[in-house]
Order: sequence, then structure tokens, then C-alpha cells
Amino acid sequence: MAKTMALKVNSETHSVSVDPGTMLLYVLRDDLKLHGPKFGCGLSECGACTIHLDGKAVHSCVLPVEAAVGHHITTLEGLGTVEKPSPMQQAFIDEQAVQCGYCINGMIMTASAFLAQHPNPSRDEIKQALNGNLCRCGTHMRIVRAVQRAAKTGRQA
Amino acid sequence: MSTRRDRVADTSGLSDFGAERRRFLKNSGGLVLAFSLFGPAVALADERSARAAGGAPGSTAPFPSVDPANLDAWLAIHPDNTATLFTGKVEQGNGSPNALLQIAAEELDFPFERFHLVMGTTTETVDQGPSYGSMAVRYAGPQVRHAAAAGRQVLLDMASKHFGVPVDRLMAQNGRIAMNGSPKRAITYGELVDGKRLDVTIGASGKRFDMKVAPDVKLKDPSKYTVVGKSVLRKDIPGKVTGEFTYLQDVKVPGMLHGRVVRPYGIESKLLNVDESGLKDIPGFVQVVRERNFLGVVAETEWGAIQAAQKLGSKLMRRGPTDGLAKWSDWQGLAATDEVWNVVRKAPGKDMVVASHGDVDKGLKGAQRTFKATYLTPFQTHGSIGPECAIADVGKKQAVFWAGTQMPHQARRDMAQLLHLPVENVEVKWIEASGQYGRNGLEHVMADAAIMSRAAGRPVRVQWMRWDSHGWDPKEPPIAQDLEAALDAHGNVTAWRHHMWIPTLSDTRLLASELIGKPVGKENLGHGAIGYEYTFANADVACHGESRVGVITAWMRAPGQFETTFAMESFIDELAAAAKQDPLEFRLKYLKDQRAIGVLKAAAKQYGWQSRPAFQHRQKSGAKATGRGIAWVNRDDTRVATIADVEVDRRTGAIRVIRVVVAHDCGMVISPDGMRNQIEGNVIQSMSRTLHEEVTFDHAHVTSRDWASYPILTFNEIPDTIETVLVNDSPDYPSTGGGEPSTCPTAAVISNAVYDATGVRLRQTPFRPERVKAALSRA
Repeated sequence: MAKTMALKVNSETHSVSVDPGTMLLYVLRDDLKLHGPKFGCGLSECGACTIHLDGKAVHSCVLPVEAAVGHHITTLEGLGTVEKPSPMQQAFIDEQAVQCGYCINGMIMTASAFLAQHPNPSRDEIKQALNGNLCRCGTHMRIVRAVQRAAKTGRQA
Repeated sequence: MSTRRDRVADTSGLSDFGAERRRFLKNSGGLVLAFSLFGPAVALADERSARAAGGAPGSTAPFPSVDPANLDAWLAIHPDNTATLFTGKVEQGNGSPNALLQIAAEELDFPFERFHLVMGTTTETVDQGPSYGSMAVRYAGPQVRHAAAAGRQVLLDMASKHFGVPVDRLMAQNGRIAMNGSPKRAITYGELVDGKRLDVTIGASGKRFDMKVAPDVKLKDPSKYTVVGKSVLRKDIPGKVTGEFTYLQDVKVPGMLHGRVVRPYGIESKLLNVDESGLKDIPGFVQVVRERNFLGVVAETEWGAIQAAQKLGSKLMRRGPTDGLAKWSDWQGLAATDEVWNVVRKAPGKDMVVASHGDVDKGLKGAQRTFKATYLTPFQTHGSIGPECAIADVGKKQAVFWAGTQMPHQARRDMAQLLHLPVENVEVKWIEASGQYGRNGLEHVMADAAIMSRAAGRPVRVQWMRWDSHGWDPKEPPIAQDLEAALDAHGNVTAWRHHMWIPTLSDTRLLASELIGKPVGKENLGHGAIGYEYTFANADVACHGESRVGVITAWMRAPGQFETTFAMESFIDELAAAAKQDPLEFRLKYLKDQRAIGVLKAAAKQYGWQSRPAFQHRQKSGAKATGRGIAWVNRDDTRVATIADVEVDRRTGAIRVIRVVVAHDCGMVISPDGMRNQIEGNVIQSMSRTLHEEVTFDHAHVTSRDWASYPILTFNEIPDTIETVLVNDSPDYPSTGGGEPSTCPTAAVISNAVYDATGVRLRQTPFRPERVKAALSRA
């Protein structure tokens, strides 16, 4: 049955009343209207639903909402906006690293958590970091270039 | 676009039930959920919808179609001097509507940044035919170009009246019209139009791809182009990288329920009974929707619908036809994965001659050496990252859909048939979905949503689960190809025979309509594009097509031609190798098409091609061997030549593609960076199809129902570089298509490169490591 819980999302606290077994993805998308994270597989296989939990990239499609209580959740919306994109988001714009863009949430969330830990990665390390994220349009070359560009921007900042 | 969020839920088009609810919500101060769309065209779009809902003059239909002969159907100019282009073509992730907008901006002399796009929605756009077959720029481009040129002419006429001077004393530039010689006397398009509709007849004839719009209008001289041919930044990208963009999958409408489908256990299993007792305790559960063999469930929450569907039997691993609260008959009528090509060869269909020259049998008989080979390609799946989704709001007299289909106007006709409604009582509001590469399940899911909304009496959003998408989207069919050829003593080809068995690529029967026993759609239509361009004196190229193979098969990027190019471009490589000739020079001997020769030479130049025959035991030992491969295609007049370097790991059988060079001639390119993005996408996706992808079956159903069982290319496998050369990119060469052609050569290129490295010929995709390793060990 529904339970009321407090979720800290993008630096704001939200009260949600849902079945505690609900996967976090559906609460973010349907209750909080945060559409950055996407449903792709529900099986933790594609990465489209990636969010940050205390700064770490995790798959929200297999994380029960109850397990996220007390943690800091960040979604794509929490990184930046169209008016003020984050350096990673700006790098994706600069490289035009999008085709349909449905997977891009996962790419940006995974890459930004990775860069926070590895500010000076090689191309192979970036590929390895993104290896669990699937893109069907075949935008991989540009996505890697965007992450390389964001890393460079970060080093210069 | 900074204005994405300024559209509130456009509920003006809700069905009769929906409209009633909307009034209720309005009166009760109830919730109207916001979703954003395309910018300031909205005012006009809403006005159109309102006009439509109120009934246009002379029409009593709730959702009349627009009249392509009227400028208003294509173009709107807004008071703030922004503009909107309306097109029946839709975005599927490849940016081609962006190119249409560039064409219109060029011809209208209007700034691209202030020009917005409304796509697909059936009361707002002209039916320009489905967005498939690399045809948007080639066919819709001229339609949009003529409409925009007519718009410019209309604006000049208006300005002529406004200033009281003849048109030839006026100049249109950048959304303004100024008087020659007195630049201060100028007016913006927005001021001139003053919020009115562009209700002017410009003329149109013909339908869809063949439609001619404003045929007599004067067009701009292409040598003066400033927007066409320039790499503009795509307008959708900032919203997509920040979560502000609204995909179809993000849309919510008032009063909406969540639905999930529960598919039969076997492809043709019958639904025996459903025990609903175990569903009542699921939070938010509303009802089961059962109609003959169609089964679905709706709930107030998405999680509730997912849980209920799971209890009924919708899950990744299903143990049998009675695993779940829904019980299905056992059905075991499918051929096993390894048997599908025998089914393909035996299935009844129609024969088609592609080319017939000279006497092949005679050529074979008198030859010094003859060659035979069979090439096999498997079922493949679209695998959009976002599973198929649609919202339907079905009332007694009218129905409204929110859908991402590549063919909203055709889908509208199909939904009208499914629901027994007049076409003009059905509206499809088109919204961009996750990428599509052909006919995936986005039309099918509309039928699922329609049936569930009709039963529930409320709008229903249906999203397929991963296993529904992998398991039931229309598949690219398996194809079998037999080739035979002869060489004379000098290494000349004296006979060429290529027979192919290609099941239907356009079975459009809607799954849900079949399940309820009221079929909508057509089966057994159409061949893929099959090219044969070589000039062999004796040639016999034929196709056995239009057959059915157990599951619904329909087009997937470069349907049929991805596979036929694999066979013919690998087999000619076999002949070149046997003749100990350079594979590029060998091809050039048998080509007369200058644009084909052009791309092959351009690719060779970029690559730095050195003349030598393939393999020749260059690398006898070592754990890894490297090789180069070449192949080309003409797909619907676009020529593409691809060259790649690969590395084969002899111990594991793994193939790594290191460098790819593509020379691409689709004539004039509208947006070069957009074209390069698309080519890179085609290369990567076709590498994935070549190296990994195969749908598997047991006798009941598809068993490759997730990304673990249907792997695709990952980041670790991407090439170091993909270099693209755009050939004949000039106004002298009218644009053909770029959506698909660069998919075609890839499998042959990789097969030929593996041969060059190892001397082993791979004739069956996918080239998974275990298959490659087995082939190497046989050599």
C-alpha cells in the first residue's frame, strides 16, 4: 500500500506517496515529472534511466524508491538547463552528439559521474566508462568526442 | 529553441469523452498537465485545432484535413516575426526535418533561428507520405521549397500594396522587406501579416511523394544559397541534453490511465482463460482488457500496470503457456533459428527478374573456373532504446492519438478502420519518440492503446516492455542468397547468377487487430530495392519475394538491400581474389555508372588505397591479423563506397573495425554536419547488425527478448575513426537520400576485410566471435 516518503531530488525535498516497492524511475517520471531519466529496458541493461545517487551513476529502473530515501538524487535536470547547461551538456551541444537523443540522459549522467572521479581520462577509458550504455542510432563517435571536450573544459576551468 | 515550455496541454483535440472531461476539469479548476511542444506556432496550431474542432466552413467533421493548395497549410508568420513550417514529414532521430526547415528558410528569406517546425499532426500538416526510404529531402524538399517560395511571393505582393510601389522595387531579406534604395522604408514579415492566416491559394496536385505544390512559382537561384548547404545547429539538441525536451514517452494527458499488453505465449496461441482474482490487491489496478486473443491491463499508475501485467504473464522469462494468471493454448508452429532459411526458400511468393543478359548457363559451361556460394542473413530487430508508446483517447464518435509513428496520416486511416470511424473523426497528434529505423512497433502500439481506451472509457497510455518490443516488433526478415559465377583464363567474369529469397518487407497487419480478429493492414507486399549495376555480359539476377515466414516482417533501415549488398559485394570480392586482382580495379572494370566510379575513387583516395590482390598469405602467423575491405552500393540513386580496416583476433574470433572511410554521393547536401552524423550512425548500426545481431526463436516465440540475448555494438567496439567524403555536393546534382544508403556496404566491407586478413570467407551474419573462430579453425 502507498507510503509517504521524503525524497531529496536536485537539492529539493519532495514528499511522495507511492507503493514503496515502486522503482525510483517511475516516481521521478510520473510523480515528480522529471523526464530526463528514461525507461529503456527495466532490466538494468541499457542505461537510459541513469541518475546520480550521492554522486554515483545508478540505474533507477531497478532501484526501489524506498532505497533512495535519505540519499541525494540528481537527475539530468539537476545538471543544467537550456539557458544554463552544464559543461557536459554544452559539450554535447557543441559536438552535436545527438541523433534521437533518447539514450543521451544515460550518456551524460554516466559520463559526468565518471569525469568527477577521472578528470583526465584517455579515449579508451571513456569508452570503457560508457560501455554499459547502449545507443541504437550509432552516435558513439560524437558522444566520446563530447566527453573528451567536457574533460578538456573541466581541466581548463 | 527557448520557447519549448510555453505550450500547455493542448486538450482541444480530446475525444468526445475527453472534451467532456476537459470542461469538467476546467470548471472544477482541475489539473491540466503541461507538456511542451514546438514553440510559437502553437497559437496557430491551437487555432487550427479549435477551428477543426468547431468545424471548418463547409465541413462538419471534427478533424478535417488541411488543403495543400492553400499556403496556410504550409506556413504561418507570427506577429513577433517568427514563423512556422508545417510538414507531414516527421523526425525519427536523423534530423531530416531540420533540413526541410533549412530549405524553407532559404526560399522564404527568413532567419533559420526564428523559424519553427510543426510535424506530422494530422489536422495541422499535409500528408507528404511516410517518413521512410531516405525520401524526406528528395521528395518533400521540393514541396516545401515551392511552398516557401510562394510564401515569399505573397509577402512581396502584400508589401507592394503596403508601400504602394511595384514588387520589383522591393527586396526580401532575413524576414524583412525593404524598398530598394531606401533601406529605412522596411517592414518585417510579422508586421506585414499582422497575425492573419496566409489564406492564399498557391495550387497543388497529386498525392504524397508525387505531390506538386505551387508548380509555377519562381525559385531562388541555388548559386545564391546562404542557408542550404550550411551546417546549422540542430534545434532539438539543447532540450534533449537537459531533459526539457518532451518525447512522446513523456506526454501525459488529463485523466490518463497506464496500460500494458500481455502478448500470447506462442505467436498464434489462443487465450483460454484469465484469472483476475490475484490482481485486485495491486495498488491502482483498474481493469483487465480482454478481446478475443488480445489481453491488456490498465491501472492508475504505471507501476500498478506493470505489476498486473507481470502477474498475468508479461515478463522476460516465461516458463510456458500457463505461466501467469492468463492461460494460453500451446502453439509450437515456428521454425527453429537455424531452420529459417529453409522456410524462406520454400515459402510461396512471387518471382521477379532484376536483370537478365546473355546466356549464363553457356557462360558457366565454357568457363575455366566456376564458383558457387550461399549467403545467409538472419531476422533482425529495430531495438529502439525507448520501447514503443502511444496514448489513445477513444470516444464513441471520435478518437485522438498521441503517437510517434513514421506515418501519422496513414496511421490515422488505419485507426479509423480499426475503430469503425470516419477518417475525419480521428486525429493523430504526432510527437517525437525514441529513434526509429523503419517500421518498428509505433503503429502497433497505437492499436493496443485504442483497444484499451475503448474498453476503459478513458485515455490510456501504453508503453511496451523491453520484451514486448524485442519479442513483437515487426522484424527485418531472414534472407537466403545463392550466387554462381565463372572466370575465364584471364580472370574475366563470363557469367554471374544471383538468386535471392526475400520474404515480404512490408507486412503492415496490425498485431492487435489480428488478435481481436478484425485485421487492419496489408500483407505480402513489396520487394526491397535490389540493385544490380555491373556490366557482365551474361547475368541472371532474380528474386523470389513476397512470402511470409511466421512472424510479421517489415522494413528496417535499407530493407533487403543491406543483405543483398552483402552477398553481391562479397561474391565479387571472391572473384577478384580468385583472379588475383585488386578488388577495387576488378570492380571498376565492370562499372559504367560515373557516379559509382566516382565514390569508389573518392573513398580510395581518402583511404590511400594501394593496388594489390586480397590476402595472398600476407600474414601466416600471429595472434592478430589485419585486412582491408571495400564495397559500394547504389540505393535509390545515392552512391556510397565504404572502405574499412579490421583486425581479427585468431584466438577469440573477435573482429575489431579500426578505421572506416565512406564516400557518399547524394547530390547536394542541405546540412553537411547533419549528413555526417547520419552516415556515422549508419556505419555504427550496420557494424552492429553485421557483428552481433540475430533474433532467435524456439518453436513458440522469439527468445531474444532483451539486450543480453540480442546484443548490439558497445562503446568498446567502435572504430578509431569514421571519415566521410561528400561527393557531388553541389546544386548541379539534385539531392537524393541519405537516411539509409551508407548502411548497405558494411557487411560486405567487413567480410572482405576479414578475408584479406585471414583468407577466410564469412558468408553468414552475424560474425560473432564463436562463428569466426570456427571458420578460422576450418581453414
